[in-house]
Amino acid sequence: MAALEIAERARSGWDDEETLGMLEPIGRFLRERVDPLAIDRQARIPPEILEASAELGLFGLSIPESHGGLGLPLGAVCRIVAELATVDRSLATSVGLHAGLGSRPLVDHGPEPLRAEWLPKMASGEAIAAFCATEPEAGSDLKSVRTKLERREGSDSLRLEGEKAFVTNGGFAGVFTALARSPGIGGARAHSMVFVPKGTAGIELGPEEHKLGIRGSSTLTVNFDDVSLLEGQILGTPGQGMALAHEILALGRTVMSAGCAGTARAALERTLEHVLTRRQFRRPIGEFEASRVHVARMASRLFAMEAIVDHVGALAESKRSILHASTAAKVFASEGAFEITDTAIQLHGAMGFIQETGIALMLRDCRITRIFEGANDVLLVLMGSELLAMRPAEAERRVHSELPAALGGAADAWEAADGALSAAAASVRKEYGVRAIERQSVLQGLARAHMELMAASASLDRAARLGDERSQELGAFAAMDLIDRARARAADLGRDARRADHARTLTDRLYARLAGEPSHPQGTVREELRS
Amino acid sequence: MKTAEERRTFIIHAIAEILEIEPEGIQGESQLREDLGMDSLASLELLSTISREMNVDLEMEEAMDIATVNDACVFVERHLEAGATGASASPA
Repeated sequence: MAALEIAERARSGWDDEETLGMLEPIGRFLRERVDPLAIDRQARIPPEILEASAELGLFGLSIPESHGGLGLPLGAVCRIVAELATVDRSLATSVGLHAGLGSRPLVDHGPEPLRAEWLPKMASGEAIAAFCATEPEAGSDLKSVRTKLERREGSDSLRLEGEKAFVTNGGFAGVFTALARSPGIGGARAHSMVFVPKGTAGIELGPEEHKLGIRGSSTLTVNFDDVSLLEGQILGTPGQGMALAHEILALGRTVMSAGCAGTARAALERTLEHVLTRRQFRRPIGEFEASRVHVARMASRLFAMEAIVDHVGALAESKRSILHASTAAKVFASEGAFEITDTAIQLHGAMGFIQETGIALMLRDCRITRIFEGANDVLLVLMGSELLAMRPAEAERRVHSELPAALGGAADAWEAADGALSAAAASVRKEYGVRAIERQSVLQGLARAHMELMAASASLDRAARLGDERSQELGAFAAMDLIDRARARAADLGRDARRADHARTLTDRLYARLAGEPSHPQGTVREELRS
Repeated sequence: MKTAEERRTFIIHAIAEILEIEPEGIQGESQLREDLGMDSLASLELLSTISREMNVDLEMEEAMDIATVNDACVFVERHLEAGATGASASPA
């Protein structure tokens, strides 16, 4: 357990009695019954594992107690999903999807008759939930969904028609929530969200997709073929489906970020055990500086990932918007998990590359998180444009006035970096004007710096909350590392727009030649490379 | 687009196109964010479109104060006026 001690075990704002009480049996269940390698090999979660999960209450996490669930706050849901992800990411994905995107639309926006009928079944695991937004031609660009909801002529009923792709939990779901364009329902170009139980006539499921990771989770196409629904199956205000989708995706992204932190924690713990016991050149490899730097960076990155997830949970608890913070958390946690699992493989050497070690599986399971629930590249552009187009409200700016002295230096550095970022944003506005929208790499740079400062701020808060010396040291290290990165980005953005323009010209030209755009015939670059 | 009215119609249609809503539902006093649900990316897209189609150089710092459809129209007119007289435009 020495390794675990180094990893700093106390970690969440949601380590309250109720959550900890749940974690103990969940931990035992995971250790004794869940075999992640077998789940990966068989590409399915055995039904008895789903049943046992249901008995543990895992499908009732987000569902109100009044309707048979546990009614846990978002932060506690995250804490439990992270715990599941320390052992099996497929199970964590299935449970997390159910708890976030799957059940929250009905919990928060369902008409009471629908809630009364379905929430108890969802809480017990009798009806596992799936969320259908993505389509073959509508990924990050959700507005382009083609699935259509319309009123049937001469009838009170609605008609749902269209195909949804990559539906998580699709194969064993009992209920589907679907986003559709709904011309004539709440506006000519409106969208609406509908609740569709599996038994409804016209639902067809495609075959299971064969995936790189989270292979035990179910992913397939759901086809709605002339499905009949009632007005009462619309969730929220008819025509407001797109706003609802953004709200629900923010919850889903937060839960997913927690899963990333769980996987990363498992990777770190396994790596610590390995570097303490694996001997090369007559010494445990943990005695070599190169290994120690890797492990310290893994631990500090993980600390920040858990901190930013806690931060979003705290925002939700205080009834503040999580739209912005959940986006930053999703990008930060998904990239962090991939980096940490990749470093874990590196430190395990060739053994890390072997399936049986289980580390390779962690990396494969993490890969999708940089894509689903909003591709990171797109989310960064959205965040960057948000930063450029809005003046941050004074109330939202973080001022670290109540931190312990040990964190004071990092807090001062944070304030300076935040000032540098504001100046960089002003400089980008001046340099590019409203056409900054066309400079996506600049927008992404701004967003990254902002995200790093948010994670640094959350790390300082978390370190102060945990209070012990080790947490403060880890928090300060994590924060300073992130602040340094943000400051460097801000300096680049503010100082050297011309260099960015030059790089852009080069990449544009290279792309144009590869793509065969008119001024550069296709194949030229390849031919040049060959010659 | 020679008249202010033509430019106003263009702006309303650009908003409708970007937000995929009907132009008839857009009023002068509509708040871009609160009423029309325009996010930052969409607002940048709108301003970029105006800048390109009307050939005006819009300052971002000033554009950040645009809250309503009317604000956007007045802002563009002031910019065009300022461009013609060589003075600097102030925010709408």
